[in-house]
Amino acid sequence: MEAVGVRVEGVSKRYSHKVKGEVYAARDVTLDVRPGEFVTMLGPSGCGKTTTLRMIAGFEAPDAGRVVIGGRDVTHDLANQRNIGFVFQNYALFPHLSIGENVAYGLRVRNVAGAEIERRVKEVLALVGLAGYEHQFSNQLSGGEQQRVALARAIVIRPQVLLFDEPLSNLDAKLRVAMRQEIRDLQRRLAITTVYVTHDQEEAMAVSDRIAVMNQGSIVQEGSADDLYYRPASAFVAQFIGRVNLLPARVEAVAGGGGEVTVLGHRLAVAALPGTARAGDTVRLVLRPEAIAVRPAQEAATLPQGTVAGRMFLGEKVEYLVRCGETALQVVSYDARPGDLLAEGAPVGVDFKGPDIPVLPQETP
Amino acid sequence: MASVAPAAGPARGLAWARQDPALTATVLVLWLLLGLFVVFPLAMLTARVFWDGGHFSVAGIGAILTDRHQVQAFWNSLLLATLVGLLGTLVGFVFAFTVARGGLPRWVVTAVDGAVLLPLISPPFTTAIAMVFSFGPRGLITYELLGLKGVTVYGMTSTLFSEALTYFPIAYLALRPILAAIDSNIEGMAMSLGASRMRVFRTVTLPLCIPGLANSFLLLFAASLADFATPLILAGNAFPVLPTQAFLQITGMFDLRGGAVLSLVLLVPAVAVFVLQRYWVSQRFYVTVTGKGAGQQPFESVAPWVRWALVGACLAVTIVIVYLYALLLYASLVMAFGANHAFTLGHYGVIFTEGFKAIRDTLVIAGFSMPLGGLYGVLLGYLVVRKAFPGRRTMEVVSMVNYALPGTIVGIAYLIAFNDPPVELAGTALVIVACYVFRYGPTGIRTTIALLQQIDRSLEEASQSLGAASGTTFRRVTLPLILPAFFAGLGVVFIRSMTAISATIFLVSISWTLITVKILENMTELSLGPAAAFSVLVIVIVFVVIGAISRGLRFFRAPGSEPVTSLLGG
Repeated sequence: MEAVGVRVEGVSKRYSHKVKGEVYAARDVTLDVRPGEFVTMLGPSGCGKTTTLRMIAGFEAPDAGRVVIGGRDVTHDLANQRNIGFVFQNYALFPHLSIGENVAYGLRVRNVAGAEIERRVKEVLALVGLAGYEHQFSNQLSGGEQQRVALARAIVIRPQVLLFDEPLSNLDAKLRVAMRQEIRDLQRRLAITTVYVTHDQEEAMAVSDRIAVMNQGSIVQEGSADDLYYRPASAFVAQFIGRVNLLPARVEAVAGGGGEVTVLGHRLAVAALPGTARAGDTVRLVLRPEAIAVRPAQEAATLPQGTVAGRMFLGEKVEYLVRCGETALQVVSYDARPGDLLAEGAPVGVDFKGPDIPVLPQETP
Repeated sequence: MASVAPAAGPARGLAWARQDPALTATVLVLWLLLGLFVVFPLAMLTARVFWDGGHFSVAGIGAILTDRHQVQAFWNSLLLATLVGLLGTLVGFVFAFTVARGGLPRWVVTAVDGAVLLPLISPPFTTAIAMVFSFGPRGLITYELLGLKGVTVYGMTSTLFSEALTYFPIAYLALRPILAAIDSNIEGMAMSLGASRMRVFRTVTLPLCIPGLANSFLLLFAASLADFATPLILAGNAFPVLPTQAFLQITGMFDLRGGAVLSLVLLVPAVAVFVLQRYWVSQRFYVTVTGKGAGQQPFESVAPWVRWALVGACLAVTIVIVYLYALLLYASLVMAFGANHAFTLGHYGVIFTEGFKAIRDTLVIAGFSMPLGGLYGVLLGYLVVRKAFPGRRTMEVVSMVNYALPGTIVGIAYLIAFNDPPVELAGTALVIVACYVFRYGPTGIRTTIALLQQIDRSLEEASQSLGAASGTTFRRVTLPLILPAFFAGLGVVFIRSMTAISATIFLVSISWTLITVKILENMTELSLGPAAAFSVLVIVIVFVVIGAISRGLRFFRAPGSEPVTSLLGG
């Protein structure tokens, strides 16, 4: 089947809340998903990602805006008229039907011939690694198996769009990692346009072509995982995607797009400054823990000085908490050799791996 | 997002109606039926009371309120209901506590359940009749055993006794899950802090049960207030109560308006109790009944001697029940109870010849009411929980009205509403079937609502996302999952169609009559044998049908779903 695009256009959904009154679950959300693309809506709970997904599915009607699937305006179509596959967080398997019948359900609704149904059910169960499970019931299956059935049931109808609502959050950590890989592989193989919702940034980064970060009902930034990680547009995105140290700094000089700033009493060249930044302004540096290096103080006398306040040895990496005066810095150090470990209380010099450190204006939330 | 509800979009207005024509049609038909069979009769009843010669009048109410005899009936009703509430709740609690905490063997519990079920599924006046057999002028105990002459069984004491015996199972069924759901660790904790067993009971167990006790008191109060047949048989002239007064006003004095006024007076305490029970007590439960027990083995929370006392009390009540029903069976098999105790099947001969019409009519009416009532309950419950349409809450409330009102009011309202054009249904089977469907179908509504609230909405959304329209989703996903509610609805409607009398006694006619009415006629004509035989027959039919339904329930039960153990437990 030809892959189609999904376009969400200025979609809003209001709720009346007992305490807060009228609140927007989603506010003027616009999202373009290209044919065959895997897009994830990522955000904390209550950010509107699930509401938006349910409006794409047709489970909820938007108060404003349009939903277009494959060039067709489906805003006023019911879910059963949209040709979508939906995978629920709780799997939503029909408890009164066998696994085979669960998967066959959408085909029976479409009046597919019996032999064809049997063939396709077999095929799709094999595809998700559950060949021979036709006659089991959902209460006899593990969480991971139930998730596969839910997936099989959604893709067997060859939907134009596949929608996932936090599909892995009921699974344990190990299974979650395995399943997200399977979902990604399957999506690639079927080349099916997919919209995925999760609050887990690592999961989002693992599966998506593109991520739309949402907060308080709106999309705050869109981009690939590395885009969001290396070029966050706001403190919210910087903090939500990965760990970060947000350090206040003073602009000393502006030259071209970049310039020089003072941070922790030391001057540092940065490749890009916010367009509005002038000399004397305060800005914030987005410093990832792995973008900071710490060295024993005696080797780094010219660098900002600090003390190791905490150390966690995690095998492949070491995490330090370093105090520089009032500021506490999270630092991650990889492939440290046994002799290189710094002790708690050790004085250190702090090195920033510039110059492509993202810089945010002071006032972004 | 748990506490938010979708904002009603007035801008989109009737969008729901265009999107889902099947839903729209169903909603409209249901509203039409509710209007005709719930709202219209009550409006006609109220009009008959307050509308006199073309203008508003309270003269009818005034006449009743100044009649000493009727005022006495009002207070008698309240007194009787209060006492039945107290006594029935006490007995019900003793049973529930003994079963939950007594550490009884399983088979004993099953036997107790069986005996307790007996009054619940019999016609409501069965114990009243058996009381007459036992304690009447020619009663087994009063006359045969004690040789007393000229004793009278009629009056408040025996009415109270009979009603308490008939209705305490309601308290038992309401209290048992609550006691079972109390985490026994809480009691164990109190004990580990040094409290004695008695103190634990007094300071922990009992306080946790208080909302349940209040709830069961109100349920019993309402049941007694609405009970019509027991006082008619047992209360006698010295102890008039409202439902019987209303009945006598209409059938004895042909004063339809007076009956209407009396039934409306009955409405006041009935509505008060219903409101109190639904909106006050039910929100004060400490214990959430989930259907699962607390899990742990209850510890030895009852001292041995207390346990024996409790078991003894339960046993005594159970024996009284079994004795009364055995007496009923015996009376149906002897020539003339109290005079000639020779064995005969003659009474059964009588009911299957002269009384056959009543049996056939009752079965036809029950046969139609059962599927209609079951379907009505499931459909309305489903719409109310799962579908968004204007007036959803109102529909739920209106659907509960006939169920909550005493049968006497419903019966008189139907009598007034359907006796004359524009809707002349008096004397037809349809009016009786409608009465049963809208009066007992709501049990199915409640069960459906309770079940649906446990079934995650995503199941239906999954079906919809797979391409099924709302009708298909209902038929292939929702309906199989709420089948237990459907069967429970079937069971209740059938039982009540076989045993009810308070509303339908006003609706029977030459063309359509009911077994229960025949029993009452036989009792007043003192043909006790046929009355007993009819009663036994009803109980047997009800048992057989319930057995069949339970079997059907097991057959249809989804392989993955929870087992449904009792029809009446929910």
